[in-house]
Amino acid sequence: MADRVAIVGIAQTKFAPKRADVSYGEMAYEVIEAVLRQTGLKMDEDIDNSISCSHDIWDGQTISDIGITDVIGGHLRNEEKMALDGSTAVHYGTIGILSGEFECTLLMAHTKMSQTNRNIVNNDAFEPIYTRLLGFDYTSAAALQARRYMYKYGVTPEQIARVVVKNLANAKKNPVAHQSGDFTVADVLSSPLVASPIRKLDIAPDTDGAVAMILASEKRARQITKTPVWIKGIGTCYDAYYLGDRDLAGVFALEKAAAQAYRMAGIKNPRRQIDVAEVGDDFSYQELLWMEGLGLCDRGAAGRMVESGATEIKGKLPVNPSGGLLGGVPINVYGLNRVAEAALQVMGQAGDHQVSKDVKVAVAQGHSGFCGQHQCVVVLGKE
Amino acid sequence: MVQKEQEWISIPMTVDVPYRFAAGQYLTKYLVEMRDNGKIFAVKCPRCKRVQLPPRIVCAECHVKNEEWVELAQEGTLVAFTIMYLPLTDPTTGKPHEPPFVYGSVRLDGATSVLDHFVNVEPDMEKVWVGMRMRLVLRPKEQRTGDLSDILYYEPLPGQVRPK
Ligand SMILES: [Zn+2]
Repeated sequence: MADRVAIVGIAQTKFAPKRADVSYGEMAYEVIEAVLRQTGLKMDEDIDNSISCSHDIWDGQTISDIGITDVIGGHLRNEEKMALDGSTAVHYGTIGILSGEFECTLLMAHTKMSQTNRNIVNNDAFEPIYTRLLGFDYTSAAALQARRYMYKYGVTPEQIARVVVKNLANAKKNPVAHQSGDFTVADVLSSPLVASPIRKLDIAPDTDGAVAMILASEKRARQITKTPVWIKGIGTCYDAYYLGDRDLAGVFALEKAAAQAYRMAGIKNPRRQIDVAEVGDDFSYQELLWMEGLGLCDRGAAGRMVESGATEIKGKLPVNPSGGLLGGVPINVYGLNRVAEAALQVMGQAGDHQVSKDVKVAVAQGHSGFCGQHQCVVVLGKE
Repeated sequence: MVQKEQEWISIPMTVDVPYRFAAGQYLTKYLVEMRDNGKIFAVKCPRCKRVQLPPRIVCAECHVKNEEWVELAQEGTLVAFTIMYLPLTDPTTGKPHEPPFVYGSVRLDGATSVLDHFVNVEPDMEKVWVGMRMRLVLRPKEQRTGDLSDILYYEPLPGQVRPK
């Protein structure tokens, strides 16, 4: 049985609003080919398990992985799909290696948001008899969550806008980001309202792309790379399905997932022990909410922490130095991208968006379902 | 006392999701060759040499990139068929195919894969059989649209007699 699991390779496409030039299988192969080249691994000799991450309705195909078994190396062997956020592929792949069954696992998440309509796809997440006929989607649900969070903790629109300003400025330094720029709080607060209090610039844009990652047992990791990034802790947790059963300003599921991951990683004080965080900012206010759920600050204190500059790329605890999802990452790929960006920080290979401080421990967070129903936390570290 | 009948509610709903699928590098070339030049192209794996339809980026068996294109003959052999009695829907038009009709799997000469399409033959077990030689019939050039409907159907080569 493997004692430890490491990330040994990462490849990401450039995220772009519309990849009309590739089918989704071809887009997936871009990152699979790149990560195999980077690690020098061969699909048939080295990769003993493959896990993909995508979504049937987004892909427009039932069992959306059956069409890409060729590119992902699933032909006449094992391949499984996680129909959840990409971060859960890391969770599932790690468990497979820890079980001793596999030694080298390829993970790949892909989505082309350009091929359909997010509001329609997300409406299908709602219960058909109950709130689906309101036309509810993730954005409208998020607006309720944002309002509740702002009301309960006195978080201001200016504090939330600071998240957008920071992340889009960070994204300028990230070559795979789809959008970036120098915006002011005033720019954000004058961008068109979509579902108040959420404005256009508060929403991660529709984009196309894929991310691949290779996980390996400790023995294999040492043979493959000099800069393995260890998966120190993992945790997942579901909250209630119905929004009406949840306290939308609460972060119960994330606290549970984080507690699990921190226990495994031996983290007692996340504020001191975590050097950098990549969290799922599908909507700007969520970065603040998830920072609190991860215990990076007190409940209700994330807005002030962002205002203080502590989460800037040069700050005391940088959050989303990559530009986060607001920089443009496709849904379903969100979490694998969060883990990939956190791992690049640990490796010291994040390039222009590498944080100034030395990174020993990074945390990545992904979530699935409206208002973060399912939460996944991955703690990464050096030796 | 009259027993009231239990009522059960169910809600009708059409889940209508519009898509536009990118054909990508390999199928775009295939569709353009068929539309503009009336040719059928497949890819050949550099390792196992299987000639694959539809053209695709990777040979699943060898996990190597397919880069060689080969033009196929437009005649081949029927390897399987079915006479359909269900009015299956064409998702690009929303209209049903009128039954009975015949679906056939034909291995075009030179190909490893088979290509499934309609067969223009009477839906009669006496008139269609495995092993029958077929020819691909494309739409007239000016009517082609750059999708699989540019193939009208397979049609049996003339003068064939059902084997005993
Ligand atoms: Zn081959």
